[in-house]
Amino acid sequence: MLSLMTSNPPSPSPSIFKEKESLSQLPSMATAASYLSAVQQADSCAHTHDNPHAPLTPTFSISSSVTTSSEDSVDEDDDNNTCFVNPHTPPTSEQVFTTAHTEFGHCANEAYRCVSKHDYTKPFQEHTIEEPPCYVHFATYISFLILHMLGHLRDFFGKRFAKSHFTHLMPHNGYAPLNSSFDSFVLRRLKRRMDDCYAQPITGIPGRTVLVLDRYSPDYNHTQIYTGGNTRALNISSYNYLAFSQGRGSWADAVAESIRRYGVSSCGTRLDSGSNDLHVSAEALVAHFLGTEDALVCSMGFATNSTFIPGLAGKGTLIISDELNHTSMRVGIRQSGAEVRIFKHNNMSSLESLLREVIIQGQPKTHRAWKKILVIVEGLYSMEGTLLNLPKIVELKQKYKFYLYIDEAHSIGSLGSRGRGVTDYFNIPPGSIDVLMGTFSKGFGAAGGYISGPKTLIDALRLRSHSGPYAEAIAPSVITQVVVSMASIMGVAPAPQLTKSTLFPSFDSSIVAPKESAAEFPGMAPASMLPTWMNLCPSLTDGSEARTRMRRLAFNCRYLHVGLKKLGFIVYGHAPSPIVPLLIFNPGKLPLFVRMMRARPIPIAVVVVTYPATSFETGRVRLCPSASHTKEDIDIVLRACDEVGGILDMKHGSCERWGIDEVCERAVELVHSV
Amino acid sequence: MDSSTSVALEPLLSFLAFSLSQIESGFYRIPGSAVVARYVKSSHQNDPGRTILELILVIFAIRTLLQSRTRTDRSGKHFIRFSEKEIDELVDEWVPEPLVQPLSEWEQKDLNSVPVIAGPNGPKPKLLATGKIVTNLASFNFAGLAGNEKVKERALETLQKYGLGSCGPPGFYGTIDVHLDLERDIAEFLGTEASILYSQGFSTISSVIPAFCKRGDIIVADRSVNFAIQKGILISRSTVRWFDHNDLKSLEDTLISVEKDRKKRKGPLTRRFIITEGIFERDGEMVDLPKLVELKLKYKYRLIMDESISFGTMGRTGRGLTELYNVPASQIDMLVGSVANGLCSAGGFCAGSAIVVDHQRINGTSFVFSASMPALLATSGSEAITLLRNNPSVLLNLQDNIRAIRAVLEKTEGITLLGHRASPIIHFCLRTQQQSLSVTQSTYDHEAEERILQDIVDDSVANGVLLTRAKHLRGQEMIESRPTIRIAASAALTRKEVEKAAGVVKASVTRILSKRR
Repeated sequence: MLSLMTSNPPSPSPSIFKEKESLSQLPSMATAASYLSAVQQADSCAHTHDNPHAPLTPTFSISSSVTTSSEDSVDEDDDNNTCFVNPHTPPTSEQVFTTAHTEFGHCANEAYRCVSKHDYTKPFQEHTIEEPPCYVHFATYISFLILHMLGHLRDFFGKRFAKSHFTHLMPHNGYAPLNSSFDSFVLRRLKRRMDDCYAQPITGIPGRTVLVLDRYSPDYNHTQIYTGGNTRALNISSYNYLAFSQGRGSWADAVAESIRRYGVSSCGTRLDSGSNDLHVSAEALVAHFLGTEDALVCSMGFATNSTFIPGLAGKGTLIISDELNHTSMRVGIRQSGAEVRIFKHNNMSSLESLLREVIIQGQPKTHRAWKKILVIVEGLYSMEGTLLNLPKIVELKQKYKFYLYIDEAHSIGSLGSRGRGVTDYFNIPPGSIDVLMGTFSKGFGAAGGYISGPKTLIDALRLRSHSGPYAEAIAPSVITQVVVSMASIMGVAPAPQLTKSTLFPSFDSSIVAPKESAAEFPGMAPASMLPTWMNLCPSLTDGSEARTRMRRLAFNCRYLHVGLKKLGFIVYGHAPSPIVPLLIFNPGKLPLFVRMMRARPIPIAVVVVTYPATSFETGRVRLCPSASHTKEDIDIVLRACDEVGGILDMKHGSCERWGIDEVCERAVELVHSV
Repeated sequence: MDSSTSVALEPLLSFLAFSLSQIESGFYRIPGSAVVARYVKSSHQNDPGRTILELILVIFAIRTLLQSRTRTDRSGKHFIRFSEKEIDELVDEWVPEPLVQPLSEWEQKDLNSVPVIAGPNGPKPKLLATGKIVTNLASFNFAGLAGNEKVKERALETLQKYGLGSCGPPGFYGTIDVHLDLERDIAEFLGTEASILYSQGFSTISSVIPAFCKRGDIIVADRSVNFAIQKGILISRSTVRWFDHNDLKSLEDTLISVEKDRKKRKGPLTRRFIITEGIFERDGEMVDLPKLVELKLKYKYRLIMDESISFGTMGRTGRGLTELYNVPASQIDMLVGSVANGLCSAGGFCAGSAIVVDHQRINGTSFVFSASMPALLATSGSEAITLLRNNPSVLLNLQDNIRAIRAVLEKTEGITLLGHRASPIIHFCLRTQQQSLSVTQSTYDHEAEERILQDIVDDSVANGVLLTRAKHLRGQEMIESRPTIRIAASAALTRKEVEKAAGVVKASVTRILSKRR
């Protein structure tokens, strides 16, 4: 009710919910009885049609903590939306799902799967920046102009007539202002207008759906007041790509066991006395996973870049960095004291011409040759969704002899048929890249990061990077989550080879055993690398569960990307990327988009980004599909985008357009057309 | 001749006149152009020279705008042009150094001697290498919270409800309600308006400093601050003045001289910060907080204080130096502490006024651009605060143990104990002829001392007491500090165990040093 009292932001009142719910196109199964009857119906349907895809979910995957979906969601408050609780197609009794549908969607249809792999028969498609019509840009600039003018006017008068609100921006009592009013202008005058779209706290697991805490602001976003209630929304924003961050199931069971055994903290830094046997075995496993000699883990993803780069580069080193590299890398580069040059985003010819220039010109002033050149790039850019042109950069590396550092924060786990990131996607031996860095907080559902490479390099970093002697070691529970996630992607040897091929007879045979590169990516994890107390269920040890998830993720990414394009939107990046940036441009439409998506009958939690994370004129919404979404969930997102995008005039793409129903129907065809 | 040229030029001239009039009429059609024209005309009338000057100014402004913002060497006069073939040859000739220099023999030994614990860390961990159980005088488990059953229970509950990873940065659905709870718990515990949670202790202060200190601001910092602060100061690009280690007289002199400088230059009022540590990580010295606060208020500085060691260990219930000295925490503008050390979980925090905290939610780089901390680590922190509040006797134990260790080691020949007598970390270094701990390289041989200290560590580990040298990054630190052994006291050990362990350390010191003589 409280939300009705506020004019800004417009949040949906419960009554609106109820009203619109009946309009929802999804079958609503209000009672348990109707759900049960639907299950029966689906069951008989599957039997009569002898559907080849039906009994695919392995029956032996029942773990100690099986829960049925309906049970789970009853204890959490949900008022709305049975589609969050009950799957679109009710499972047959032969299909056993060990997850709650709210957390990890039930999807047994094998057609909604795809393999993440680069097709070498086609050339690498450079990412294109599609331009909207002129008037969109014009309106964007005008909006910013108005916003700025209003902001400056309010500052001007506010500083004179409402001094109490500006104390921290004005000198007082002999202190200089805490923040310069110019520096904080964007924050105060632009971002505050849409603060209700950011940092909305959640509770529970950020899986397929997420419970966001309801809040409202009585004073134009200066303060947020929590009503105490929460709303379940479809979560298309978290980086839980493979949905390994779960409260129940094998992953959580192993983590719980490690808390019981190891406690919560490592109590120290890696070099003095915070190292334990888990760290050592996990590092070996990470190296094995990546196909490199050695690896080092760090307790924070940001710090992995900011504390290890200074250990690699110093005076006399040139770092060449992509212009859109993440802040953590920029901080690391600045701390290292090395020279930096920037090249255009993912533009290999810009990189090459820069290399030709710097190698012959040498260091500034002295003109001595550079001691070494380190090129720092990302595997998958988090704001653009662009994939690194790895084949080309490796070719350049051979010619220009630079060292290559790839940040796989978003790509590890989410790209490649074996989940090993861009190297896997392009099928390039990981040994040909000098430094592979990545985080555990995305694909693996944990926290922290790793850096890996040759043993000499990693040993040097252990001693010489800032993390070693000063940063706390990664917590045992977190590293356990990493170990289970990696082991489940790789599979654990010895495992019965037969079950795999019998499990996925039709679709999977090509990727179950990637013969051509078996040597590059070591296959299964030897059981000796896992802690002896870790008991994983069979679907994890044979890798089938993770493989299904990776294939579902690959399908969802492509479907969402291509679907949005077909609906007429401007979408950046490459289709296999689990980050799908949908361009909005105009700053006024950004908060509108978030609020409209939130106010829909099926609320959708989305994230919009604008300056300073992107350039001023390319405000965007960033959608992150995950393996936990079903095809129907993506349909819901597409439908929502179609409606909201139509109202907000966002469809400026030049791609051939289809209607929303056609897109939903021909999803499989669309995905395979990429 | 003359007429023929004029004939030939005529169409050209008429075209010029036509286009001029077109431009003119077009120009007057722009709204507001009449004002500009009138201004130009009248200014030209008054002073024709000024028109030329202004024209030059406009051209210069356009040129500056068109120039690329980033510095480029291409325009420099030292830029040498080569043909494509020459470039290819030069590229072929260039041989880069290896990416890293391999470890030296001593570094390799140092790395190999890093202890690895099998199983849980705590007061009596088992070492992986030998399988022996040792008494832990090395790990940060000050209040004895490691392995606490209540904390574990809380963590397990959280895991069930929240899973492990938060899977997003705080701004994008990565803020979980338990983060807000811990932030509120910390703020209430310390008595500040608000606090903000970072997901790694080390990255906290190096992110807090540049959030507030900008180019042109003045930082007055202790010469011996920890590495994270040094990096934060480096990133901030502020003007730094250093004062002598833990010497408030020197601080006051510096503050006076900064003020003098400003008056002399008649510069504008800039932000000014004092940055120091509560208990210094490097040597265990403790700052005289009341005096520091007095100076800060007198000279109108803001105070950033790192309580990574003192939070959770000092004061009656572990609120840190503010509790010990009975100074309101609100007097410290940015109070930075470690959840990892003090509360035996992970991460760090910055407490202060609501404005200070809110500012960091957008400007604290490692807050904004990093995934938030796993939920179960946050609830463990909250649980630890409850435990500290309810069991003040724990920290009395800690102080007892500190006294016991110091009592034994003070009587040991050949070493000097450093730091404040109440500090939970106790550093000792080798005693040399000069008692002054000057930090210039010439007075002692760094590596030789490190080797001796490492021998002491190895010997005491062999005898059942886990010790560690204080590890530093040689060559990357602002000052080379004297090699020391760092003992971390813990409330989890009984007085008897501590005395016995300190006795073992003493015996090791005596044994190794007598071998050397």
